[in-house]
Amino acid sequence: MFDVGTFRAKTCDRAGRRAFLRVGAALPWMLGGLAVDEVVRAAAATRAKSIIFVWLWGAPSHIDTFDPKPDAPMEYRGPFTPISTRTPGLMVSELLPRLAARSHKYTVVRSNVTSEPGHPDAGTVGLTGFKEKPEPVRPNFGSIISKFRGHRGSLPPFVSVGRGIPRDVVRKVDGYGGGTLGKTFDPFMVSCSDLGEVEIPALQLLDGLTPNRVSDRRALLSLVDEVPRQLEALGIDEWDRTFQRAYGLLTTPAARAAFDLTAEPQKMRDGYGQTTFGQSCLLARRLVEAGVPYIQVNWSEYVESITPNCDFGWDTHIYNFELLQDTHCPIFDRAYSALLDDLDSRGLLKHTLVVAMGEFGRTPRINGRAARDHWPRCYFSLWSGAGIEPGRVIGASDKYAEDPITEGITPLMVGTTISELAGMDAQARAELRVLDGGSVIHELV
Amino acid sequence: MIRLGVLLVAVVGLGFGQFLAAAEPIRLTTDGRVKRDPVFSKPDGSELLFAVLDRPKQLRLMKLTLASGKVESLHPDETRSEFEPAVSRDGRFLAFVQNRGNLSLAMVIKDLMNGHQVDVPPGGGFSGMHSPAIAPDNLRVLYSYPEDGRQHLFSVGIDAKNPTRLVDSSGVNNWPSFSPDGQQVVFSSTRDGDYDLYVMKSDGTDVRRLTDSPKQDIRPRWSPDGRRIVFTSNRDGNYEIYSVAPDGSGLSRVTNHPEQDDFATWSPDGRRLVFVAERDGHQDLVSVEP
Repeated sequence: MFDVGTFRAKTCDRAGRRAFLRVGAALPWMLGGLAVDEVVRAAAATRAKSIIFVWLWGAPSHIDTFDPKPDAPMEYRGPFTPISTRTPGLMVSELLPRLAARSHKYTVVRSNVTSEPGHPDAGTVGLTGFKEKPEPVRPNFGSIISKFRGHRGSLPPFVSVGRGIPRDVVRKVDGYGGGTLGKTFDPFMVSCSDLGEVEIPALQLLDGLTPNRVSDRRALLSLVDEVPRQLEALGIDEWDRTFQRAYGLLTTPAARAAFDLTAEPQKMRDGYGQTTFGQSCLLARRLVEAGVPYIQVNWSEYVESITPNCDFGWDTHIYNFELLQDTHCPIFDRAYSALLDDLDSRGLLKHTLVVAMGEFGRTPRINGRAARDHWPRCYFSLWSGAGIEPGRVIGASDKYAEDPITEGITPLMVGTTISELAGMDAQARAELRVLDGGSVIHELV
Repeated sequence: MIRLGVLLVAVVGLGFGQFLAAAEPIRLTTDGRVKRDPVFSKPDGSELLFAVLDRPKQLRLMKLTLASGKVESLHPDETRSEFEPAVSRDGRFLAFVQNRGNLSLAMVIKDLMNGHQVDVPPGGGFSGMHSPAIAPDNLRVLYSYPEDGRQHLFSVGIDAKNPTRLVDSSGVNNWPSFSPDGQQVVFSSTRDGDYDLYVMKSDGTDVRRLTDSPKQDIRPRWSPDGRRIVFTSNRDGNYEIYSVAPDGSGLSRVTNHPEQDDFATWSPDGRRLVFVAERDGHQDLVSVEP
């Protein structure tokens, strides 16, 4: 189902203006972004035509997932038993049996490090490679790829699949979007339900705007006529241009089809699992097929694992073992395995880079509440596709998974490596004035 | 052993008598959403409670009436997550975990006869109760609670007063379940490395190990006749339902499917098990003969 939903702003002038501004902010690729100078280079070195960046927001425990330490004391290793994988010598948690059987499709990095111990700050570092302060905030990796590749066709170059801008209960992550490149390069936000219903909040323009009506231009114009004062206040010309581009997305069959999960066979949808994350991963695969260069799949909007009005992130200060065992790991294990299988069987993995990681790890030593707190000194990431040799472990942590014993891999290195695999070399990065000072993870390029 | 892959007899709306008599596995729900914690809430076995991920931000307690197949919210106006329901044998008391704030969970004990409700509040900071179990005599509730880096079993009065630490060992102790006479409790513990089943007297003494597998043995539930304990184990590689006698003998496997089976509970007459079965990526309640 493809659903643009309804808009709650009613007929209040002020609300209508806000609604427009929201559209303008959320659909930057439809605006001036088309006129910006493009730094599109020959794709000779482009190994990743598309990137799927799976953002495990809230920070999964590395020691309970991809960096188990079975010989550590009980107060470190926790209750889970490592299991063998298809890769000789590689052990992962027993909570990930499907991914253990698919270790030949990804490479694990066990030496990620970050500078920030708090969520929004580490979120910005994890998504941009740089701290929030001093301002200005740097662009999201997806925004960089978006600028580098430019906007082609009717689909946006940077799509974020999730319920909203990643945040905690206090504030949003500053580094979610275009940063110094401008809001033009913010992600195009879509969300996906556990039933595969796709919503595009930014297109909830007006009450009564439904998928059926949106394909009827006269109905749209009729709706427009209902709010002439808003148009006048906003400036009709610009509003019209924005509206037409949004309309163009919705009325282009190929673009609409990319967001329509009902086009998938039921067996395929089932394979990803009837969960929001599972169906979001399936949507990401469809967007890769449709040629979208960068898709960020957010595990959750909120980091908090169990908090009223929050959507069960990976921040397991309490209930760590229960949540990993009961929900988080089974959902991730199923969906991520399905994604890798699906991309692989379609031949897409060769030219698609898939990266999964959180903003940091969790305390190897179990906390007072028999769970785990924040740990920026060591965590993991998973890398697949785009010619990366799979079935390897890059980097290593010490005996308690507290610190890398090899070179620490920073978020800036992650972003630089993504850009390199996307065909953006050091000169291109310098010309765009992004990821300055970054180095690639040599084992991956 | 029951292979549930192919045969799942329909379903919702099946009469209660048929539910009790059916030899085949019966699927009790069909929405496929993420589920957990089924438990019978009436002594005659006519009603089940369970938790479902009703919307992305809320685990909600649901009530399933078996005669009609009707599923409805137990607390329709509640916006906070509630899960892990436990019901007394006579159906009078309900205990469950309720999310009160940021990483903060209380245990609620409710007298369903008069609606009176008491709480065991969360501790300071991030903390929460786990897995309540009501004693057959309705005098106490056991639960799991973390302190000092370990997770202990506590006992509290049905009036939520006088919490007492019953089990204090290394590791995580969780999922207590009373024997029908209330004299013993089975639970899972990681004191020896990974999750295994242990049995103790209900005063916390005479702890003995019941299972010893290198994988997880979790969520034990004592049968109404006292002769079997069902539990979840991934000893074969994924989560399945197993059964064992209280002396550790007679281990048998109840389910066998490449997807997960978990959260088993007994019907009050002991003739059926209900659990959460994942099939083709969808999670539903399924009932089988043990």
